[in-house]
Amino acid sequence: MFMLWIIALVTILIVSLIIVIKAADIFVDKIVEIGGIIGISEIILGVTASAIGTSLPEFGSAVMAALFNSPDLGVGVVIGSNIWNIAGILGISAIFAGTIRSSPKGITRDGAFTLLTAFILLGFMYFRGVVDIYASIIFVIVYSIYLWILIRDQKKEVEKNKADKQEKIVTPKGGDAIADHPPEEKKKIGFGMIAWSLVGLAGLIVGCRLLVYSGTELAIIANIPQMIMGLFTLAIGTSIPELVVTFNSARKGLHDLSIGTILGSNTFNIMIGLGIPAIFMSVPIEHLSYTFDAPVMIFVTVLVLLLIKRGMKLTRVDGFILALTYITYAVLRIYVLG
Amino acid sequence: MVYKKILVTSTGEYLDQIAKETMEIIADWDTDVIGVYVVETSTPFLTPKKVKEMMVTELTQRGKQVLDAMEEKFRAPNIHFSRILKEGDPADEIVKIAEKNDVDLLVMGTGKSIVDKHLLGSVSEKVVHSAPCTILLIRTVSE
Repeated sequence: MFMLWIIALVTILIVSLIIVIKAADIFVDKIVEIGGIIGISEIILGVTASAIGTSLPEFGSAVMAALFNSPDLGVGVVIGSNIWNIAGILGISAIFAGTIRSSPKGITRDGAFTLLTAFILLGFMYFRGVVDIYASIIFVIVYSIYLWILIRDQKKEVEKNKADKQEKIVTPKGGDAIADHPPEEKKKIGFGMIAWSLVGLAGLIVGCRLLVYSGTELAIIANIPQMIMGLFTLAIGTSIPELVVTFNSARKGLHDLSIGTILGSNTFNIMIGLGIPAIFMSVPIEHLSYTFDAPVMIFVTVLVLLLIKRGMKLTRVDGFILALTYITYAVLRIYVLG
Repeated sequence: MVYKKILVTSTGEYLDQIAKETMEIIADWDTDVIGVYVVETSTPFLTPKKVKEMMVTELTQRGKQVLDAMEEKFRAPNIHFSRILKEGDPADEIVKIAEKNDVDLLVMGTGKSIVDKHLLGSVSEKVVHSAPCTILLIRTVSE
């Protein structure tokens, strides 16, 4: 019976993860569609969708953990995801793809914000011992500034592309060529669009609740701290979208998207993933979180920025360094510090 | 051997080398060159839809730039250059385009390390097995 309960919980954990990730995808997709129809600029929608898209599972889990009295789990998901994103995902992607290049702008802008947000979080943890409403306000302001910079840069990029754009399509004899996309018909907000966005939102809420529930129960059964459950199981699980996007874009040579997804996601996880739950309740911080986990998060961020800075790329060797760093952290955190 | 219709494909890397070797084959003969870039659209399960769309848009933009660069490289009085930008599986699409356009020669780069071939797969290896014409594989890895 006991064994069956464990199997059921693990099944709930896996199924809820898939529900959360797919629901977040549907929700973002439909919200962007509706946003476009009501006249929100495509640039703003594009930037926010890519910034938020992969991080909604972490955000939802952190909110649910805060609402259902498991704040440690929420903090664990956010910090654990950030460490896993950099050391684990970028490490694995660099090992498999061989090289992940970066543009100087990606590193200076996104890297600086990722590092800044990590230091702000550490500051609150260290000096206040809690992430509260004051932290929320600062987090949301800093994230708004970051989004504003992203949108401004994207606008510049679009204008530059417009100026450069000179498409010439010649059809080869007997062959075929891709045509320009015909102008899209003006859409209206339909019932289906609203219904699907609500389905996405409901899936996100239910999925995150189930995820937090199964994570908490499994932690109790296995007699391990909720923090560890958050730092590893839920953090790695909710980062699956980052993993598929980063790895796939590195493989396709979309290097900026690869590193940008990770750095943008880490900024979002802290500023919004912790900032919003802290509006509902002050999130107390465990001693080990600010003496070990948060410093490790800053260490891996600095490490990846230094590795990239050497040649504006991550090599396979760098990937191994990052992956080994993650393994060392996991072993120390689980088996030594507990 | 004179090739009248040549398909050249590249992801943008080593384009100089690929174009140089192709030009040597063309010499002064009147030739049709078809530049091909395939936007790989496959993504793993759980990839967010918006990110997938973004990937396709970026790769399409890159494809246009690669084809522009290719057109520049093959600018010559005896060469008629045309371009094809397709979405799909690169190996499948290259073979289909070669068949449909009845090309005499297919030129592409090759030379991933054994590790990369195992980890990432090789488009040229797949094309070799089903190409409908002669293939020139240009070794692009620097020694």
